Amino acid sequence: MPSRRASLVFGVANLLTAAVVALGVFAGLPSRWAPVDFAALALTALELASAAGLLSRAPWAARVSRVACASALALGLLAVTLLAVTASWLSGIYGPVGRGGAIVLALVAALALPYLVVLPVVQLVWLRAGKTP
Amino acid sequence: MSLRVILRVLAAWALVTVVMCVVIRRVFALDVDEAHPRAVVASMWSGGSLVTRAVIAHAGDRDAALDAALASHPAGTLVYESVVGEGPVLVQPEAALSASLVAGRDGLAVTLGGRTEYLTPDDLLSRQAYDDGVRVPSIGLVTGVDVPLALAVLADRFGTTASDLVERARLRRARFLRSVPGDPPARTVTPDSMTDDDVRGAAVAAAQFLVRGVDPEGRFRYLVDAPTNRTLPGYDWPRHAGATYFLAQMAALSHDPEIAWAALRAASWLRDNASGACGPHRCIGTGTRVDLGSTALAVIAFVELARTDLDRGYALLVPGLTAFLRAQQRPDGEFMHEYDRNRSAPIDVQLLYYSGEATLALSRAHALLGDPRDLDAATRGLAHLTGPAWSFFGSRYYFGEEHWTCQAMDDLWDRAPDAGALDFCLRWQAYGRRLQYGPGETPFDADGAYGLGPFVSPRLTPVGSRCEAGLATLDAARRAGGDPAELTLLDRQMRRSLALLLRQQFRPGPRHLFADPEAVYGAMPGSEVDWQLRIDFVQHAGSALVRWLALSVGVGNTAVTNSVDKTSKP
Repeated sequence: MPSRRASLVFGVANLLTAAVVALGVFAGLPSRWAPVDFAALALTALELASAAGLLSRAPWAARVSRVACASALALGLLAVTLLAVTASWLSGIYGPVGRGGAIVLALVAALALPYLVVLPVVQLVWLRAGKTP
Repeated sequence: MSLRVILRVLAAWALVTVVMCVVIRRVFALDVDEAHPRAVVASMWSGGSLVTRAVIAHAGDRDAALDAALASHPAGTLVYESVVGEGPVLVQPEAALSASLVAGRDGLAVTLGGRTEYLTPDDLLSRQAYDDGVRVPSIGLVTGVDVPLALAVLADRFGTTASDLVERARLRRARFLRSVPGDPPARTVTPDSMTDDDVRGAAVAAAQFLVRGVDPEGRFRYLVDAPTNRTLPGYDWPRHAGATYFLAQMAALSHDPEIAWAALRAASWLRDNASGACGPHRCIGTGTRVDLGSTALAVIAFVELARTDLDRGYALLVPGLTAFLRAQQRPDGEFMHEYDRNRSAPIDVQLLYYSGEATLALSRAHALLGDPRDLDAATRGLAHLTGPAWSFFGSRYYFGEEHWTCQAMDDLWDRAPDAGALDFCLRWQAYGRRLQYGPGETPFDADGAYGLGPFVSPRLTPVGSRCEAGLATLDAARRAGGDPAELTLLDRQMRRSLALLLRQQFRPGPRHLFADPEAVYGAMPGSEVDWQLRIDFVQHAGSALVRWLALSVGVGNTAVTNSVDKTSKP
């Protein structure tokens, strides 16, 4: 089992990730689309379970956290890829997206990267280290 | 999974994503060559309808069908749409196809069974199919091509079904460039080339467009579909009053009796059909719930009619209406925007625009009649609008599009100057400058416009209304001795917007796509591709032009009168 302090930090981080994903998708997006909604729902549930496990230092915490991190990383990479590819497609159709468009896309990517790429990677590495004797 | 493996996976992902982005952009970007069109779609249009079409190699090439159509429709117009670029298009999902065509520029080249048909921008514009595809109601966004309509047109030409087309045909995006043989190249108005005569001509044409739509009783053609010249359903008292105000402005400036007569008819319609009691006061509105904006804009229109001596009698109606406006004001300066006639009580809700309109109306009424209660109410309204009403975390970085407040600020400046309100308006304009499109930032003719991004054709009404407010701010800032550098920036910002309005006004617009070009001459469309003409579109643009003339040359009646002769009839 990883250290108490690390469990607390990652537990809180996963709680925050769950809140950001839920808020971003269900309050931030202007309309509903089942694939995105279901993915967000599943990820929120996994992050919450992982947070609960880590904060309570449950024996299953590491396993659930690995699944949550892998899911977050996969969805994060997919989201950033789709954003980048869509921006490229729109840029091909409409020409330069302008400074405003570039800033918006960069901000969206910047918001997604810490929670859905960087944090899962760090956590996966930490979980791996915790497993090593 | 070790750190090394994760980093390798991430590096591979980043590389693949970058390569995909580069490839996708390159595949979908058009290689436009205007000098060497791939084909020329020659169309004969008459009365806004397509008579016949031929695909020719070069503009000017003869074609038997075109010759026959020219002979049978001597008043028709031959139009060339040159295919200057072609590229792949995503057919599925429908939203992708919808977003794949740049509004007003792109169409489709569709090949089935060895035969190619073109769906050109003129085909789509004549059916108003741009900016009518993907709808996001929560943010009021409509963008993209109406795909079912586009496919139905093509299916009809191929004698098949839309689903068959999607399944079997090869669809490609095509960029078109329109030219009309025999038409002299139109002068392009730019911020630098725009003259006061340009502005005068545009303002008079805008007023004359409205005049043609006022019926004998004084009711406007509220919403007109330009391609068919059909009057569409709907009506709105605040917009009726706003259009009446613009006609009154132009009647005074132009001395055109037709404009004056239309202004008076429109005002009398308002007075006789919409005026009623709201408790002890008079108000404008026909339902049991009456809004503040109708009365406020009616006051502005009536004051203008009286102020300019078109009919001094309208001054008599103003005190009763301003008493209603004052009664709707809260102690903190905010207005209650509705009134319940059944309960004889105000409804304390706030809607967009009405507080600014009421403040301006009270200011104008005071300038005409000198009632100190109107000045006090207007001053408190302005202080609230530019103070507590726009005070929240982030209010320095975000502004709405309410455009009456700054007109009220300017109107009050000589009688009750409010430096805080001027500062608010200058900050709003500076914010607008950051959002204003520059040349080449979008695929559209959008220099001077404000928009939602490069994928949506910019709306022109916000350009007009922000110009009204921006020019009012410029006027007040000059009188206040504002920072010359900031005034120069604001002046440039306004010039860019006004030049855009002048370029986009139907003077005459693409005549061949209109059933009755004379009927819509002088109108201001909703956008470059939205040709539903509502009366407030031309009112906001027109009132902005009037403000520019007042600011630019302190225009007198003579200056505009002269321009009537040049532009009186299309």
